[in-house]
Amino acid sequence: MIRPSPTLRLFAALALFACGLFPLMACAQLGSSPSAVVTTEQVRAELLAHAPDGAGPGRTVWVGLQIRHKPEWHTYWKNAGDSGLPTQLQWTLPAGVSAGEIQWPLPEKIRIGTLANYGYEGTVLLPVQLTIGPEFKPGLLSDSIDVQLDAAWLVCKTECIPEEGRFALKIPARSSTAGHGAAFDAAWRSAPTDLATGGGTLKVDGQTLALSVPGLPTAWQGRKLSFFPETPEVIETAADWQQAWEGANWTARIPLSSQRSSSPTVMPVVLALDGLVGQRITLPVSGSWPQGSAAAPESTALRDALGARPGTGADAFGAPAASIGFWAALLGALIGGLILNLMPCVLPVLAIKVLGFARHAEDRRAHRINGLAYTAGVLLSFMALGLLMLSLRSAGESLGWGFQLQNPAVVAILALLFTLIGLNLAGVFHFSQMVPSSLAGFQPRHPVVDAFFTGVLAVAIASPCTAPFMGASLGLAVALPPQQALAVFAMLGLGLALPYLAASFIPAVARALPRPGQWMDTLKKFMAFPMFATVAWLVWVLGQQSGIDGAGALLVLLVAVAFVAWALALAGRARLVAGGVSLALLLSLGWSLGPAVTTPAPMTQRTGDGLWQAWAPGKVEQILATGQPVFVDFTAAWCVTCQYNKQTTLSDPMVLADITERKVALLRADWTRRDPAITAALQQLGRNGVPVYVLYQAGRTPLVMSEILSVKDVRAALARL
Amino acid sequence: MKRRVLLACVSLLSGLASAPLLAAPSVGQTAPDFSLSDTQGKTVRLSDYRGSHVVLEWVNPGCPYVRKHYNSANMQGTQKEATAQGVVWLAINSTENASGDYLAPEQMDRWMQTQKASATRTLMDEDGTVGKAYGARTTPHMYIVDPKGRLIYAGGIDSVPSSRIDDIKTAVNYVKQGVREALAGQPLAAATTRPYGCSIKYKS
Repeated sequence: MIRPSPTLRLFAALALFACGLFPLMACAQLGSSPSAVVTTEQVRAELLAHAPDGAGPGRTVWVGLQIRHKPEWHTYWKNAGDSGLPTQLQWTLPAGVSAGEIQWPLPEKIRIGTLANYGYEGTVLLPVQLTIGPEFKPGLLSDSIDVQLDAAWLVCKTECIPEEGRFALKIPARSSTAGHGAAFDAAWRSAPTDLATGGGTLKVDGQTLALSVPGLPTAWQGRKLSFFPETPEVIETAADWQQAWEGANWTARIPLSSQRSSSPTVMPVVLALDGLVGQRITLPVSGSWPQGSAAAPESTALRDALGARPGTGADAFGAPAASIGFWAALLGALIGGLILNLMPCVLPVLAIKVLGFARHAEDRRAHRINGLAYTAGVLLSFMALGLLMLSLRSAGESLGWGFQLQNPAVVAILALLFTLIGLNLAGVFHFSQMVPSSLAGFQPRHPVVDAFFTGVLAVAIASPCTAPFMGASLGLAVALPPQQALAVFAMLGLGLALPYLAASFIPAVARALPRPGQWMDTLKKFMAFPMFATVAWLVWVLGQQSGIDGAGALLVLLVAVAFVAWALALAGRARLVAGGVSLALLLSLGWSLGPAVTTPAPMTQRTGDGLWQAWAPGKVEQILATGQPVFVDFTAAWCVTCQYNKQTTLSDPMVLADITERKVALLRADWTRRDPAITAALQQLGRNGVPVYVLYQAGRTPLVMSEILSVKDVRAALARL
Repeated sequence: MKRRVLLACVSLLSGLASAPLLAAPSVGQTAPDFSLSDTQGKTVRLSDYRGSHVVLEWVNPGCPYVRKHYNSANMQGTQKEATAQGVVWLAINSTENASGDYLAPEQMDRWMQTQKASATRTLMDEDGTVGKAYGARTTPHMYIVDPKGRLIYAGGIDSVPSSRIDDIKTAVNYVKQGVREALAGQPLAAATTRPYGCSIKYKS
């Protein structure tokens, strides 16, 4: 009888953990109770829910009213047009749960005689996102959210019938509701997305609205577009109007209603091609509204525009600009994880682990167990980090990959950890000397645990790096339902763990290593230097966040930690005295200097350096409006890849010459500290981490370049301007 | 021959009136004059009432929004308040006679009587020419013309676009308010508002 090995136990625990995270989708199909459906002679209306991850606090839950119209009947969009009324939804929800606005799908223009309306025929789903706050407490007996909806809609053929319905639905809090995923997917796909580039003008010219919109998808150029103003009572809905393409600029002249009752200062409008895809643009109104109509009270348009979709959190359904498929994201994550192994901070740790094989080249079983434990450590920490990020995001924080390094305390702790590893490699002390003697024998006797924690360590030190292929995958991951997002994170971990796992399973690797000897000790000591170099870099990162005082304080703390490590490595009485003194010193310094490390320095006005200007929201659009192309470098001090590209490709004289020649404006968006505006801009590009390099040109879709920026690629992109 | 020329002229004129929606007057402009038969067969011209304030109400008894304001007696109350102060009230039905909602003049007359309406006249506009000339889109759709024949109000009956009678309590009745202000010689606080209701069943 073989006793279960620690590894087996570990995997049993891992399996349990994974099962908890991936509940069976099928087990929780929601039975539609009769009160979820209201049928009239003209429509069949049903309240649907979509909560693939359950409906506990912090979860994204969608509800929506699906209306199936009998042929020839229709209901209305948010601006109903000449007549009609928008469908109204009134929610009754438990405490802590609140409903957002309707995410109106693209309407069609429906003509009735000489009048015109905007509305829906056939089947339409009006989705609404529910926000579940921490105050929401599902009851012990009824473990679900009770949703009640009072809906009013006007359904018309030529005759009109106002109808109302009361709907009720229970959404299970702890299991998945995903039976109508396809209907919600279709509704989101047909909802207009916000035009990423912005810009555009809307001028009141006598009795006409003159529109000019740049930056529409290139595929639209030369095609006839549909126009839907969200503000009612401004234009003559049924009248003929003109449109034209002037290069990449779409222009239109639309007659104003002579009995216009609204005089908005901004107008959100939707442009669409073939009634299939829509782009939403909020245009400021210039020129003055013709006299004759008294200024109407502020329309909802301004309010909508001011609250204009922040592009984060709640807007997660907004399809990212450059999104890729789920499977491509998984593959990208795997490759990205593999490449992470080559990053300067990860390599030394791994190298030493692999060298460990040389010591017991023959014990293949031990190698395999080590490999598996290491993999488990990597996977679990990646998923934990992913889970933390996703839950913070759903709680409303706007952050992305690398967010942990935006916190100076985390940077400081990593610097301390790396110093200790460096000192350990250099032979100043051994970990067994640091811990009480009862645990001293722990590490060598439990190589499995040791391997597991090496995996955790590898993730901790790999986290500042974003490898190629990783950016797009993570950008997609944050927009996916949590199970799928976690799968992407797990794949990233698998990629990182794979080389060591493979080495542990292939005996040839161990055999290929030279015999153990003095060289191993020398190599190990040498590896201390990349570690110390990493510390130097982390101190620099902290300096960006907390200023020179913070960086100085951190250096003092590092010296104190080194002192403790040295003191505890002494023997006998000296150890007691020096250890006590050094520990007391470290604690008192930590107490007094800690705040200096973690307090952010006042934001210095970043005027940029040399050719580069600081990025700000809306700046790209401003520059594009002058006709100049713009290159944006989304970067952060803690991002190694970013710093590498900055020193190489972006400093390349040939690249700089091309940039000057083509008059490209250079903007740098620095994400070293948390910055929701940059997080939102990244999300619009379909990314969630740095580096991201984007080349904007008026009238074209922004070109997002590879994370490993090559001189050739940049010059090729510039040559196409 | 004479008859044919006359017909051609009439159709040309009605064509002119119905073609461009853009011809609808803005508030401040002259309200287009018209000549229509009322439910008792008498011809009524807008210019007959020059010197008085005139309210135009587009009506279709088949429309639930019209019924909202009649079943609640809101429309009748508004009519009574206006006409009691010397304002002329013309209810106009522009429903084409092919529509299921169409009521012949006698039926329309009876409906107004059973509703105890206080409109000065109820006019038949089956061709839709007058409705189109004013840019009337919905039932109800309300207009106020001042004694000089200028349009001073175009829009809805009130400020809450719904079919629920309960909402009338909380809504601002733009016509009552407009008539009150106009009679007091004040400019209208809300001169154009959003009309709401069923689309008018115009002859196409």
